[in-house]
Amino acid sequence: MQFLETILANLADWAPRLSEALVTSLALTCAGFSLALVFGLSIEYFRNRSAASIRLIANVYVAVARGVPILVILYLIYFGLPASGIVVSAFAAGTIGLALVYGAYLSEVFRAGLGVIPRGQREAALAAGLTPAQTFRLVMLPQAIRHMLAPLLVNLISLLKDSSICALIAVPELTLTSRAIMSESFLPLHVFALTACLYFAMAWPASLAVRLVERRLARGPTRWRQPDAEANLLVQSI
Amino acid sequence: MNNAMMNRIVDALLSGAIVTIEVSLGALALAMAIGLTLATIDNLARARATAFVIRVYVEALRNVPSLTFLFLLYFGLAALGLRLSSLTAAIAGLGMIGGAVVFDIFRAGFQSVPKGQSEAAAAIGLKPLAAFRLVILPQGLRLALPPLGNYAVGLVKDTSLVAAIAAPEVMFNARQIVNETFATAWVYGAAALLYLALTFIVGQAFVLFERRLEY
Repeated sequence: MQFLETILANLADWAPRLSEALVTSLALTCAGFSLALVFGLSIEYFRNRSAASIRLIANVYVAVARGVPILVILYLIYFGLPASGIVVSAFAAGTIGLALVYGAYLSEVFRAGLGVIPRGQREAALAAGLTPAQTFRLVMLPQAIRHMLAPLLVNLISLLKDSSICALIAVPELTLTSRAIMSESFLPLHVFALTACLYFAMAWPASLAVRLVERRLARGPTRWRQPDAEANLLVQSI
Repeated sequence: MNNAMMNRIVDALLSGAIVTIEVSLGALALAMAIGLTLATIDNLARARATAFVIRVYVEALRNVPSLTFLFLLYFGLAALGLRLSSLTAAIAGLGMIGGAVVFDIFRAGFQSVPKGQSEAAAAIGLKPLAAFRLVILPQGLRLALPPLGNYAVGLVKDTSLVAAIAAPEVMFNARQIVNETFATAWVYGAAALLYLALTFIVGQAFVLFERRLEY
């Protein structure tokens, strides 16, 4: 109880700073995820259509992005690029770094999601005279989206959690701000418990939504069932 | 870049790699112990309360960032008078989070074992504990192996975060040596290759292990 009282007593001081940091965390997550969606789709596009060399590059990219910690990539962008004359702000470096890594993860989601749809669908759409872009937008994507919804959400939650790593390149987001508050107030347990609760309040509802979507899909009419592909997908993004 | 500098960079990264491996192995062992214990209890216990307590632990740790949890453990406990060394905090923190992840993996593995198996085990007179140990566990473990491999690879990457609580692993040492040599891109590039090699080895080890366990 005394624990809660101490938090409440300091809340007037902490709340404005923490809410500002919370907004930064959310902005980082949204920007990173939007960019990652674009990267992921492009990677998946290059992996399917183009020459073998481009396909190889795309595959190597995915392997590297999945095998190297986000922190290393953030350091390379934030500290490494200025050495070659390109200076990026911490927020931009964080966004790009998260997007580079999650682009690789999302490309796997797209691959598995689109892989569920029978080849005949695409062939029929092309035969009916739709352009490849139309085929993707009107035929493939609407069918694939229901299979990708849960894994996309799982990745969004992971990205929110990983946005905390941007604290280490001095993006003033939730974790860095709570660290700063800690060194002023000398109340580490209180501050970090509060911060952990804030993250939990954002991530947990999304986790529940994932389970809801999964249960719906398990019940709903699935005409082409490829449980293996979907199961692997969820497991990968754990 | 001269030779002396090169040697110092290599030394720093390699001594960091040893700590990274230590933390990875320690956290993996702790995560497996916690995860397997909780999954076993969850599978055998009939009481609602046990399932609820386990669920709270898992949900709490899976929905909070690793870095925040490490700070909570390292700085927070110090404020209570329990001062953990950075290595202990690193292994305990990553291991506890991993325990929640591994629990979910094992639970899914045990649930994927067809129900007829436990029914058959009960029918031939095995007690619940024996049925679990002899029938469900061996089959569930095999099913859990691929996602466990993914988790282990993720864990090796997550050990980079413990640099933030001053455990002298690869990224911590890399940062130090960059401050001395200013060879930013070189050092972090080399660190990236080192992690790539480590995660590749871990991934392949699990693939080999899976093959050996195939029927």
